[in-house]
Amino acid sequence: MVASGVVKGQIISGKFGEILARQKSDSAFELGEIVIAEDAEKKVFLQVYDIEYSSQVSQQNLELISGLALEEDAAMEFMDKNLRNYKLAFLKPLITVWKKDAKNSVLSKSLPEIFSTLRTVEREDLSFLTRPAHALCLGNLRSGSHTLNVPIYLDGPAVLTHHVLITGTTGKGKSVLMSNLLWDITGKSYASLLVLDPHDEYYGRNHAIGLKDHPSGKVAYYTARDVPTGARSLKINLATLRPQHFGCLDFSDAQEQAMNAFYKEYGAKWVESIILEKPVKVAFNDATINVLKRRLLYLLDLDFSANQLFCNGVFDITAGENTVKTICEELEKTSTVIIDTSNFSGQVELLIGSLIASELFARYRHYKRDGTIAQKPVASIVLEEAPRVLGKEVLEKGGNIFSSIAREGRKFNVGLVAITQLPSLIPREILANMNTKIILGTEMAGERQAIIDSASQDLSTDSRNIAALDKGECLISSNFSRFAIPIKVPFFETLAAQDIASAKSAASKEKRAFPGVQFTQE
Amino acid sequence: MKFAHMADCHIGSWRDPQLRELSSEAFKTAIAQCIEEKVDFLLIAGDLFHTAIPGIEHIRSAVKELKRLKDAGIPVYIIAGSHDYSPSGKTMIDVLEEAGLVLNVVKGSIVDGKLHLKLFTDKKTGVKIAGMLGKRGTLEKQFYESLDKESLEKEKGFKIFLFHSAITELMPKELTSIGASELSYLPKGFDYYAGGHVHIVKEYTGKDYKNVIYPGPLFPDSFAELEKLGNGGFYIYDNGKLIRKEVLIKKTAALVIDAEHKSPEEVEEMIAAKIHDRQFTDTIVLLRIAGRLKTGKVSDINFRELFRKINAQGAFFILKNTHKLLAQEFEEIKIEEKSIAELEDALVREHLGQAKITGVDTDKEFLLAKKLIAAFETEKHEGEKVYEYEDRVRKAGDKILEL
Repeated sequence: MVASGVVKGQIISGKFGEILARQKSDSAFELGEIVIAEDAEKKVFLQVYDIEYSSQVSQQNLELISGLALEEDAAMEFMDKNLRNYKLAFLKPLITVWKKDAKNSVLSKSLPEIFSTLRTVEREDLSFLTRPAHALCLGNLRSGSHTLNVPIYLDGPAVLTHHVLITGTTGKGKSVLMSNLLWDITGKSYASLLVLDPHDEYYGRNHAIGLKDHPSGKVAYYTARDVPTGARSLKINLATLRPQHFGCLDFSDAQEQAMNAFYKEYGAKWVESIILEKPVKVAFNDATINVLKRRLLYLLDLDFSANQLFCNGVFDITAGENTVKTICEELEKTSTVIIDTSNFSGQVELLIGSLIASELFARYRHYKRDGTIAQKPVASIVLEEAPRVLGKEVLEKGGNIFSSIAREGRKFNVGLVAITQLPSLIPREILANMNTKIILGTEMAGERQAIIDSASQDLSTDSRNIAALDKGECLISSNFSRFAIPIKVPFFETLAAQDIASAKSAASKEKRAFPGVQFTQE
Repeated sequence: MKFAHMADCHIGSWRDPQLRELSSEAFKTAIAQCIEEKVDFLLIAGDLFHTAIPGIEHIRSAVKELKRLKDAGIPVYIIAGSHDYSPSGKTMIDVLEEAGLVLNVVKGSIVDGKLHLKLFTDKKTGVKIAGMLGKRGTLEKQFYESLDKESLEKEKGFKIFLFHSAITELMPKELTSIGASELSYLPKGFDYYAGGHVHIVKEYTGKDYKNVIYPGPLFPDSFAELEKLGNGGFYIYDNGKLIRKEVLIKKTAALVIDAEHKSPEEVEEMIAAKIHDRQFTDTIVLLRIAGRLKTGKVSDINFRELFRKINAQGAFFILKNTHKLLAQEFEEIKIEEKSIAELEDALVREHLGQAKITGVDTDKEFLLAKKLIAAFETEKHEGEKVYEYEDRVRKAGDKILEL
């Protein structure tokens, strides 16, 4: 099929990466817009990264004309004004598609002919965008502010194992984008997601649409407050805690040594032993043990009275023996697991996250060793406000499980989806390991620069474009795409509502009966 | 207020008649304790019987004990469990209820598509009691999904909820393979949750759920349970105080033998050393032998002679567990004891590649097999006709095979 498209302008000069085009008078270039320069053999996709005014009239005369209009109220009309005044767009080449092999695309290495006409991109031009077997849908292709009905897919397992960074200023759509990704991946056989949700926004409590409504039903939700029917009370048995899980918290060396000594002596009962002040072979300063005891009581929400331990929160001596194991098993069965951490302190959230992530990573390392990793889905951990665990300040004090996953998780099919509005706080080597960056509107120049410096494609001319991204508009730079793709994130409610409606219609046909219940007259 | 809570009596369990009789005896002992303790009422949280239609001699002994309770003015509130439930309603619990010996509290109505359970009020104490039956394969979860919890939660007074389900959050490490439901399915704010189904002894109190109790079986019904629990028991709630009453029927003696790299003769010697000079009067002897023999076969171990000696020392019964005892010759055994799912995966993998299908590699074949197994495991829905069920399963198979 031959794509038609609307003529937007014409190439007039420039050099590679800085192509200059004149805009046609009845059209308007937009930042981020994709246009096509076409000849008999190929289509070159170009993207606008800057726009400026230009005129055949000298600057002095333009200023005079403006003065006459403003000061003398004398309206001046140009002869052939569309020829004399116009706009110039700066474009960079994205990709070249050869017409004889429209499914194949290559990075542009030559310039289109001078005076090539530039036209709008149309759906038919995009047949080279293929859908991988395990497709991860990110949204629809966007050209400037115009959204095309062309879904953009990346290879899900590759993207997730090589970590994802989602960045953008508050209000630009990070949560909607994440909700869409969770919705898309949930129920798929290639991946599972562990979501540490400090804002409790993804499950959809209180009648809001959320993952609880996902037709696959493959969502496990753990919460410690007002547990909705079908959700799980977040309970973690004290016996599952190990001293190394506290590594991402700021315990002193002496306190860490004391924890290890108690663990060595009392095994699974080490926390209780510290609190109950049981003897330990290694001598520790009383103050160290007292502070450690006080910190553990506070952190784990425990009370101690009459030589007995009382559990008030998540950490328990009776319940939750299998919680961490069950979460890992659910992830291995491609479920999405959401942990509501909204009512925890940052430290408790990190402890829980660290505990689960350590167990999950250990299991996947084991699968790699025994050669069964190919049978497991990619496990991806969603981290909101990522600098809390991946920030420079935190990592200067020592690594943690999340930085280990960031560095070597891809070898074991474990990935991170790090969300932040402050990517500059994350060390460059970790940012560089995030091989897919989903960039939403970012006004702060320093943050934009941090992303640009670590992007998979050359985004050196895209700073202005990134600053101008509106709510729901984003740019995807990935090792798994040929060029940085502009997309529009669909509204989560719209996306989910369609799936929910079709699932409900199927469910309404199911009969419900309650055999074994004796029915009585009220 | 004082009441007793028992579950998983499994009257009629065990294949061996001698052990089977003990389940009835345990029930008899527990009932005697209830009468002696002068409880106001008794709760039985499922699986009174091992089957929906038990043998006549077990019905007879249970009825006799329930009659004693009735005569003592102690009402019995009961629910059906996964063993004594029957979708057709042909269960012995209904017969006992007709005879006025028990009250099955799983009663209610459908209001706006929701299952509205009735709360029964105990006349003497004013305690309100409701319950949900247990079904095999955690199928009662569907009932909980439709349960009108709000109507139960807003009711005032001292409330008890009977349930016969495994609760995910309370499962011990060794029982993760059991299907379980989330705690949040239970109505909140009751004063006592009388649990059954999982043979563990557990007391749990959390924010919205107070006194969630699993009393364990009245008499252990497997080798592992006898080994772990020794004997059964039940709970008495006495004005806020929880007391676990042991039901001592027989003593148990667990003998564990590590046969790794031993000859059959050496194993015999180890067992002989363990039983030497011991009295097993009225005791169930549990003999667990594990490991890989260095020579010979498992059958080379002269168990007959060893058992004769143990019996001579007064044993009531000898149970032997040699699941993990292997001979050298059986090195080719490829599958060790794992969970059912793992075992299934291992078996499927072992047989991959036998059917040659163009375009289907072994990975795809594995996935196809797993999907088909899952599709064929689908149970018939309540109220679904057989032909509808068959058609649904067939279509699911066709879809998987892309036919």
